[in-house]
Parts: sequence; structure tokens; C-alpha cells
Amino acid sequence: MQTKIYLDEESLPKTWYNIQADLPSPLDPPLHPGTGKPAGPEDLAPIFPMELIGQEMSQQRNIQIPDEVREILRIWRPSPLIRAHRLEKFLKTPAKIYYKWEGVSPAGSHKPNTAVPQAYYNMKEGIERIATETGAGQWGSALAFATSLFDLECIVYMVSSSYYHKPYRKSMMQVWGAECIPSPSPRTASGRAVLEKDPNTSGSLGIAISEAVEDAATHANTHYSLGSVLNHVCLHQTIMGLEAREQLAMEELYPDVVIGSVGGGSNFAGISFPFAGDILTGKKKDTEIIGVEPAACPTLTRGLFEYDYGDVAGLTPMLKMYTLGHDFIPPALHAGGLRYHGDSPIVSRLVHDGIITPRSYLQNEVFEAAITFARTEGIIIAPEAAHAVKGAIDVALECRKTGDPKTILFCNSGHGHFDMTAYDAYHAGEIIDYDCPDDLIKESLANLPKQRG
Amino acid sequence: MTPTIGLLINPIAGMGGTVGLKGTDGLSDVALARGATPRSAIRTKETLSLVRHDTLSFLTASGAMGEDALRECGITEITVLYTCSKPTTADDTRRVAAAFKEAGADLIVFAGGDGTARDILSVVGRTIPILGIPAGVKMYSAVFATDPIAAAALIRDAGTLPLRDAEVLDVDEEAYRTGRLSTRLYGIATTPYRAGYVQHAKETVFQTGSEEEDRQEIANFMAGVLASPRPFILGPGSTTGAIADAMDLECTLLGFDAYAGGTLTIRDGDATSLLAFLRENPDTRLIISPIGSQGFIIGRGTQVITPEILGIIGEKNIIVVATPGKLRATPDLHIDSGDRNLDASFPDSIRVICGFGLAEWRKLHRSS
Repeated sequence: MQTKIYLDEESLPKTWYNIQADLPSPLDPPLHPGTGKPAGPEDLAPIFPMELIGQEMSQQRNIQIPDEVREILRIWRPSPLIRAHRLEKFLKTPAKIYYKWEGVSPAGSHKPNTAVPQAYYNMKEGIERIATETGAGQWGSALAFATSLFDLECIVYMVSSSYYHKPYRKSMMQVWGAECIPSPSPRTASGRAVLEKDPNTSGSLGIAISEAVEDAATHANTHYSLGSVLNHVCLHQTIMGLEAREQLAMEELYPDVVIGSVGGGSNFAGISFPFAGDILTGKKKDTEIIGVEPAACPTLTRGLFEYDYGDVAGLTPMLKMYTLGHDFIPPALHAGGLRYHGDSPIVSRLVHDGIITPRSYLQNEVFEAAITFARTEGIIIAPEAAHAVKGAIDVALECRKTGDPKTILFCNSGHGHFDMTAYDAYHAGEIIDYDCPDDLIKESLANLPKQRG
Repeated sequence: MTPTIGLLINPIAGMGGTVGLKGTDGLSDVALARGATPRSAIRTKETLSLVRHDTLSFLTASGAMGEDALRECGITEITVLYTCSKPTTADDTRRVAAAFKEAGADLIVFAGGDGTARDILSVVGRTIPILGIPAGVKMYSAVFATDPIAAAALIRDAGTLPLRDAEVLDVDEEAYRTGRLSTRLYGIATTPYRAGYVQHAKETVFQTGSEEEDRQEIANFMAGVLASPRPFILGPGSTTGAIADAMDLECTLLGFDAYAGGTLTIRDGDATSLLAFLRENPDTRLIISPIGSQGFIIGRGTQVITPEILGIIGEKNIIVVATPGKLRATPDLHIDSGDRNLDASFPDSIRVICGFGLAEWRKLHRSS
């Protein structure tokens, strides 16, 4: 029985898949944070290179991957597709479980798939310095790796709870020559404002984004780079789904269920958009696409689909997306990379249109899934990736009940070698199952006018 | 400034337990006759041996109530404020506590059980934080460190640790000796606690606001939820008290208050009056907080809520609230309504509101 399915390097995709071309109607445009009117390329030009702005708004289905980028991606791509035989056996499921293993990249996650092209386009435009934010540190280390390849300076604002919790992610960034500081920081007006309000805050991705955007806007020859949410980031990540579709085809399979964890949405977009595109273009109709998120930050399952800022300070354009409110600061989760109040506008749109189904899980059941995975498949995965594993296990168990031998594909987005404190906390029984009491929140909101009146 | 610790040992605490007396109140002679040995001094010395003496100054009482243990641990920088009678009584405990208060102690450390905690609380209230070295037969109150070693760690950092509210409970010893457990909430003290566990990194991960800020967040959130005309009952405790404050409602901190139409209808209700209230207001919600060191949401400190009352309210109409600090002290919650079948109808985990629009799921142990 084949376990690992490899594509040769020559089969590395030459184009990314842009799902915007196949949406039944265009996305609602981003709105300028000051005027509230649709933001044009000129509004984004101060912080992004023109090539990425073009990709952000492009309606072209297939977008060329530059040769220089493909050469670098060859270091670890195409990544393996692995059949989880031992997990299947453990679950006694008739389902076939495949996972796209992205822990093989230099930074240990899927994030370099977009960090490399982003650094490349900035370098081509003559930019010398890039500012960014990072939650769990996966994006920050990926961009540090990518900028080092193109001799760019890099500054990373890292959510403070992760900065202290995962010191080795910071060390990786330093090895690749980037500067990493805890956010909120006193370096920016956005950071100072948050610190003044709450000096003990554990920070959030929304705050760190504000700081990085402000840094880019106030420093010469500096651009901003985002590791998720935006359309061009999701575009770059589709290389995972494109490869996986080819790899499954080599086994004469097509997935019945595609699963990914969702924070800002890019790894999920990467694994699922090629398959969602097959639904939109009528090639397939029964594929179930599931986005898994933490119950404590339930953007897709319980948020509202409306315009909101991408950051806490309201510096970014407003995006039409599922959101918990840009001032929502989720509790300090171990899956730090999934602590984001909003979501990719394209993922949000596909949830709204019923192409994608969201699910949410509590922290302990996610760690339980991660332990099961480590003890069957051997790989210790990141808590973020464990959400996808939990989703896959649940679907496989549903298959055991129905006897349906579905083919399940999930994105195993990265290893958890820097997350061992979180695993320790799990074993010590110290992981807290945070949840949003949305029934009471709704009740409270319904009572608000009466309180004011 | 060097923190001043008031150290008080109840020399007879815990003796009853070793000889099967389920408490020592009024029975120290019987306990001694049965061969009981004093253990509170031993446990205190265990704690004192782990504390750096040069960073603290001690106030205490003579002989077995503190002085002896301090001297045996080589601590000489002590001030004896009170000479106790022989044998010592609850009155001695209260007088020593009053002397500590008068002298401006920063923290009162006592070795004893619930009875000792109750005596100290009756004198100092919330003016001075209280920390118990567990040495009694009954320790349902939330002021006790988990063991003498943990007590030493909290004393070492006295003056710098945050404080949390801690219920002082005591049981009816007469009833307890006949096998019935009936506790009563006597008051709410403050006690120092350590926000994290053992690793620095985890403190960062589980970082929350101060106890007061957390309580205020819960109160503000619940005030919004309860602003509808729907009737509700607020249970005892400072978190539920903060909800009443946020809603500008009167409440009794130690009992159950029922509200209908936005006003206090029953103050400090008993089972009969609450039952009558529920018959008139069948869609009433109950807002409760875990009480005591063992995390009981129903039972022990909440005997007013009889199985009949609980059955009418229904599990779905109960909202549990607790600060993250409180939940760390009592990670698992318990229910013991007195009706096993009713307890069994509760799920094995329960949602606890722990912040503004934020909840934690906690294991709920049912009586068995």
C-alpha cells in the first residue's frame, strides 16, 4: 500500500489558481478606512508592491509563478501527500485519510509558500525593508527566511503571548536576520495606545497588524506584508491544493471531504480553493469542504458577515468578511495562529454561499486529536494544524458509523516542535476550554437598547 | 518595606480527625484522651522551614499559638502580642486576630481548619488577607493553601501577590458527626494567590486581568444578559454580588436573592420562600458561583437550593459565573444537591462565564 505520494520537481505547478475568476459575482470591494469608499490600487500602493496589488484584484484564473520563485520553492516542494494508514486503522474507519504535509518547509509550515513570492515581488520593486506581524511565529519565521533569500531587512511584531511562550520561533527569525519584538510595543502609536489601556495585555494579531502597517507607513522604502487573509496570500497557497489534486489523481482518487484549519484562512484556502473551484465551475458537486476553527475565536461559525477593519486600530481597508469585531481580543489560545477576529474575504464569501461548512472545537479535544495523531502517524503537529486533524478524525468516525469509505484530504500545515509547552500544559490538565457564550451574547445585545433607554 | 506576617496556630486543630471525631470543636479533651497528637504546630514548622526569615517580620501569640514554632525554626525577629490561656480557646484566636489587626499585619497566616478561619474572619473581615496552612479536620473554606509547601511559597511573596476572594465555610459539627454534611457560608475573606502555575511561560499564556477587573468584566456582561424582564435568583459570593452592583440592585452577599421585574423581591431567601417565588415565576434563572475550596456549585455552601427548587429551575436555566483566578483554585466543579438522580441529569462538563462574553468549560463531578 502506497503511503507517500510524491510529485517530481518538474510537476511543481507553474501557475497559482485564482478562484476569484470562478465566483458567480465579484467580491465586495475593500473600502478605504478614511472615506468608506472602495479602495483602489493607489490606496494600497504605499504598503504593497504593484504586482501583489494586481493579484489582489485580478480576475484572471491562472497566474504565472515566476521562475525565480519556483526555483526556491523546489527546496521543499512539491510537498508529500501522505496516507494516514495507521490513523485509519486506529479509528477503525472505512475512510481513506490523506494529508498534505507542509511541515517539510524550512520554516516548518505552509507559510513560506506565500512569504517567498511576497519577498520576491518587493525585491523586484526595489523595496529594502518589510514589516509584518506574527501570531504563533510561523509567519514571522517564514518571512524572515524568505527576506533573507533576497537580502531584505525584516521586522516582525510578534503577539506578546506567543513571543514569551515560544521563544524559539523568535530565535529562528534572528537566525534568518530578522528583528522580532513583542506586540503591543512602545515603538508605534497603535502599540502605545493599547499598552496605555492595558499594560498587561497578551496582545492579539489585530494589534500586531496595526503596528506593522504603521511601521511600513512611517518608514522609508518599507512595505508591509501579511501572512494570511488577503486574496493574494490565498492565491499563493493554492499551490498546496493544486499539488494535492494531482497527487490524489495519481491514486485515481478525488476527495469527498477537504479539511483545513482556519485562522485568517490562507492554509485552508490553499488546500481547498482548487476543489471549491471545481464545484463553482460545475466539474464536481458533492465535495464537502470543512473549515475548522477554535471555539474561543469562532469567526466563521458565529461571526457576522459584514465590513470590518482587518486590525484593531482601524488602519487597514475595511473588508467584507465574517468578523467577531475588530476590537475583539480572543483569549490566549495555544493555537496562537488562529486568534484572528476576521477571516479571508474569499473564504468568508464561500461560507456565506454555502460552498464551505465551518466547524469549531474546544482546545482540549483538539489536543486530544493531536496526541492521537502523534501516536499513530508519529508526527507532533502544531496546535493550529491539530484543528484540521480533529476535523478529519470526526469525519472518519462518522464514516465508521455509516460505512461510507470516503476519501478525506486535510492540510497538515506544520510541525509542533516549538509548541511543546502547550503539550506539557495539556498533559498537566491545564489547557482551558474557552468558549464564546453566543446565546448570552445575543441576549445581552438584544437588551442593550433597553439599557440605554 | 518588610512584610509583616501575623502567625497564629490553633494548637488543637486537626486532633479530632486522627481519632475519628470529625472535628475538634469542644472535644479537645476527648481527642487527647483518645491519643490524638497536635499536628498544627508540625505543619506550621514545615512551612516556616521553607520561608526566608530575614525578609519577613512576624507577629504572634505566646507558646503553642505561634511563638514556640517560630523559635524552634530559629526565627528570633518576632513580636509576641498576646499571651494565651491554657488550654487555648476560640476566644484566644479572636483576640490574637484583633491584635494583628491593631498592629497592622500585612497577612495573617494561620494553622487550623474552618473553625479557625471563621474566628479570624469574624474579627478582621476583608481588612487583612488570610492564608491557611491546612491543619484542621474540615477545610471547606477557600483560604487554605494546598499544602504547607504551597503556603510557604505564598508567604515568601507576601505583599506582591494578587488577592482573590475566598469563601469561609464551616460545617455543623453536630450534624457532621452523625454523617450529615451541612455547610454554611460565613463570609468572604481575601487571600493571596499565584496567577500561574509553575512555568513562567504559562503565566503569560493564561494571563488575565486582576481579580477585581475579571469580576467587573463578568458583572458588566451579566448585567447586559439579565437586563431583560426575566426573573432571576442570585446566589452567594462576591462575583454574583458584583453583578448586583453593576445592575444597581441590592443583594445579600451570603445568601440567595430573587429578583422579578428588575427589583429585589426576596432577600436572603430560604427554601420555602424561593419555592413560592419559583411557582409564581417558572422561567427563573439561577446565577451561581462555585463556593469554597472544593468548587461546589450546588451543595455544601448552597443548601437553600433543595432538589425540588433545582428541579423546577432546570439545568438549562443555571448560569455559573467565576473569575479565572477562582477557577484555577478549583479547576473541577462539583454538584451535590442531595438527589443523586437529579445530579446525574447534569452534564459532565459545564460552561462557566469567566469574562465579558467569554466562557470556560469545566468538568462537573456529580454525587455518586
